[in-house]
Amino acid sequence: MLILRILSLEPAHGYAIARRLQQISRDTLHVNQGSLYPALHRLEQKGWLESEWRPSDTGREAKCYALTLAGHAQLEVEKSDWDRLTATVRLVFSEGT
Amino acid sequence: MAKVFNLFRGQRARLEHDLERELRYHVDRRVDDMMKDGLSEAEARKQASIEFGGVAQVQEEVRDTWTWAWLDALVADVRYAARGLAKSWGVSSGIIAVLALGIGATVAIFSVVNTVLLQPLAYPDADRIISIETVSTNTARISPDVSGPDFLDWQTQNNVFEQMAVSYGGNDFATMVGDRAVFANARYISADFFAVFGQGVAAGRLLTAQDVPIADAEPTVAIAAYSWAVAQFGSAAGAIGKTITVGSPMQIVGVAERGFRYPGAADLWAPWRTASGGTNRSLQNYQAVGKLEAGVSLARAQVHMRAIGDNLARQYPENRFKSVALTPLHERLTGNVQMMLWVLMGAVFVVLLIACANISNLLLARAAVRTREIALRAALGAGRRRLVRQLLTESGVLGVFAGAVGVLLAFVLVRALVALSPADLPRLDEVHIDTTALLFALGLSLFSTMLFGLVPAIHASRLDLSHLLKQGGSKGVTSGGGPRPRATLVIAEVALSVILLAAAGLLIRSFQELQHVPLGFTTNRVLVAYTEYAVNDEADMRKRSAYYADVLNRLRVVPGVTAAAGVSYLPMGRELRTGRDYFIEGRPEGQPGERPQAELHAITPAYFNTLEIPLRVGRDFAESDTWERPKVAIINETLARTAFPETSPLGRRIRTNTTSPWMEVVGVVADTRWQDPRQPAPAVIFVSSLQGWGKSLSILARTSVDETSLVTTLRSLLNDANPAVPVRFETMDELFAEAVAHPRFRTQLIAAFAAVAALLAAVGIFSVLAYLVGLRTREIAVRRAVGADTRDVVRLIVGQGMRLVGIGLAVGLAGALVVARLLQGLLYAISPWDVWPYLGALTVIGAAAGLATVIPAIRAAAIPAGVALQQE
Repeated sequence: MLILRILSLEPAHGYAIARRLQQISRDTLHVNQGSLYPALHRLEQKGWLESEWRPSDTGREAKCYALTLAGHAQLEVEKSDWDRLTATVRLVFSEGT
Repeated sequence: MAKVFNLFRGQRARLEHDLERELRYHVDRRVDDMMKDGLSEAEARKQASIEFGGVAQVQEEVRDTWTWAWLDALVADVRYAARGLAKSWGVSSGIIAVLALGIGATVAIFSVVNTVLLQPLAYPDADRIISIETVSTNTARISPDVSGPDFLDWQTQNNVFEQMAVSYGGNDFATMVGDRAVFANARYISADFFAVFGQGVAAGRLLTAQDVPIADAEPTVAIAAYSWAVAQFGSAAGAIGKTITVGSPMQIVGVAERGFRYPGAADLWAPWRTASGGTNRSLQNYQAVGKLEAGVSLARAQVHMRAIGDNLARQYPENRFKSVALTPLHERLTGNVQMMLWVLMGAVFVVLLIACANISNLLLARAAVRTREIALRAALGAGRRRLVRQLLTESGVLGVFAGAVGVLLAFVLVRALVALSPADLPRLDEVHIDTTALLFALGLSLFSTMLFGLVPAIHASRLDLSHLLKQGGSKGVTSGGGPRPRATLVIAEVALSVILLAAAGLLIRSFQELQHVPLGFTTNRVLVAYTEYAVNDEADMRKRSAYYADVLNRLRVVPGVTAAAGVSYLPMGRELRTGRDYFIEGRPEGQPGERPQAELHAITPAYFNTLEIPLRVGRDFAESDTWERPKVAIINETLARTAFPETSPLGRRIRTNTTSPWMEVVGVVADTRWQDPRQPAPAVIFVSSLQGWGKSLSILARTSVDETSLVTTLRSLLNDANPAVPVRFETMDELFAEAVAHPRFRTQLIAAFAAVAALLAAVGIFSVLAYLVGLRTREIAVRRAVGADTRDVVRLIVGQGMRLVGIGLAVGLAGALVVARLLQGLLYAISPWDVWPYLGALTVIGAAAGLATVIPAIRAAAIPAGVALQQE
């Protein structure tokens, strides 16, 4: 979901996504940078991302990922699911006490 | 193939290459960034690869994502499902056992239906092979029997049949093979008979038009069935050129292809004697078949042949009331079992439905136990469709498993079914489980999976997340809508079992009636020796009479034999008998086709005594009623009533042919149901075999001991008298059993299905109520705490159960009344509205259901007030 969110702003290559992830989570999410790639490929298989080789800011060719239409839709779904879940959990905690 | 593989490999290589580039880019960028922060290149590279984790590991993980996602998910689901099912293997194996039984039984019955009714006959262009038959234009009754002259006219006048052929005979004839006397089922056929069925020979040649004897000459050649040739001569080729004697000597010139024995179980085919068909258009003892020209529709052929038949009706007075009807051969052969087989199919399918309902129940119960697991999965983001898919996969694993076990079971069941089936069920020897049946089994597995899996899956996926989390896994409250699908399932089970049980009850009642039909003679303790004494001329016939008289006299003094007699047509026998016109002295002869008819039976003296048929007036035949004496006859009561309604028949004279001598009626005997216990007694004229009537005799011996213990004695007695006469033994009880084999078969099967259904329904009701009691434990405890006594609790639970059962019984009764109308054709002597089967079904299911409610009720009553509350 986070990956989809980052890519919804602009297409990026793997390294850039890893950096963005670290930034927005303010270093609290300490995932292995390598584990990002299986996730990217999975999302691509599902048709939510598409990729192409493109010269990067350093001039070297890098594989750039962008959100597809289905990806945008999926992001919406996950966002609303997430909202529901957090709302529910909040409800439970406030009722539980 | 290799190209496709390479293409695949090429794509794979590109993916690998891209992945490596992508990962290298990431690491390089990271190194660059860290070097900008002042690290040395070596230090930065080390740091970056630690951050990244193992490159190979990442590559491997990414590769995993390349396999097709859905296949991945399916494998995961199946693996997960198998693990889950293995964990509760008790329930799982129970489900598989019940379902496998249901699928196995259904596939077994389907195999019979499929082979007998659905598969075309095993001949080339079988759909074009037609049985050409006689229709009575005044009664609209269709009979497969045709007359010889009619057949010849049809053959020359029609232009819709490629070939037409006729056959007759089919009795077991005494046949000499070398010096051995054996039975051979011999048919006489016209030249094109094998061509109609598209048959060749395994050895030798087919019959040709030149083989058909001219005028009254005896046939001199024959074709043997493969199995008979092998049994008698060791091989098909070994039979060619051998001479056998069936009445007259014949040389075997050909052996039919393996498996071809039409009609019935023919052993030999000899060319027909056209002259014996003669000019008698009233004598209908041939069966005609034909192969339609390609492209000619049955309807067109029917119109065409009907026109020919109607023409003949105008031309010949004997044909005034008959014409031609066409019936596809497949229908002619299987028509009379069609209804029975479909009813069995329906019944076994109902059992499968009940089994599915039961399994559905079990899965619902398990889903309730797994509520928390499912809630957890939902909370972790599994979509509703994903959950339904997961649960359906579980059901699918069960279904496929059960299907596999069921097919194995079906192989066993089919053999049992074939063994149990009436021996004359058409195409019985062809019954087997073929690809169609296997596909049917697969479809059935998937269908039942959907049937029993969908309700629990949808039910489980409808869980309200927040509600569940609030509930915190407590079992004290019924989750929304929980009992309703269960209640529906119970009602369905009860209703279906009532329908099946009522149907079984109707058939059982009808079968009982059939068993107790007064036949007019007693069947027990009568041994039957079927013999065949070949004759060629009148001298032989006299010798034959002497032979039988001699054998019977010697038999009557054997210890244990109380009476013995001979008869040319066996009661309950397999030979078809047709009535023939009779004439009474002093009355007008009437027109052909309008004359009254009676069956003609040739018997020896003491026949009535042997079968215990009461003589009403007059006398039995005597040994003194011989060839030379005036001809005498005995008639049965039906004939006495119709032919001599006012006067005594004794002393009147009768005959069955306008030229033969008159026979004086010397006695009247009671009516008997000879052929089929369902049919009322036909009019019968008995004549004495001692006066030259009839053919070879079946010898009947009434015994005071177990009739089968005399087989050896009787066999050696007959062999001593004449070794050229082949003998086969049966008992009259066996013959009777065979005559009611069809009703017995369907009654037994449906009763078995109904018993299984009732049992399954009882188990289903029990498990549902037990579960509902579990759900209401706290409620019951509270009730007890506020003063409810045991009676109230029991009433509560039993009331809940019986309400469901009551609805089920009502629905079932309505269904049963509908089904009963369909069964009408299979019922004998009782109305489909006979009240007892319905009462019986309601009582049995009601009682079983009642019993099933009692145990949960007792368990509920045992719940003490405190315990349930402490559970929380």
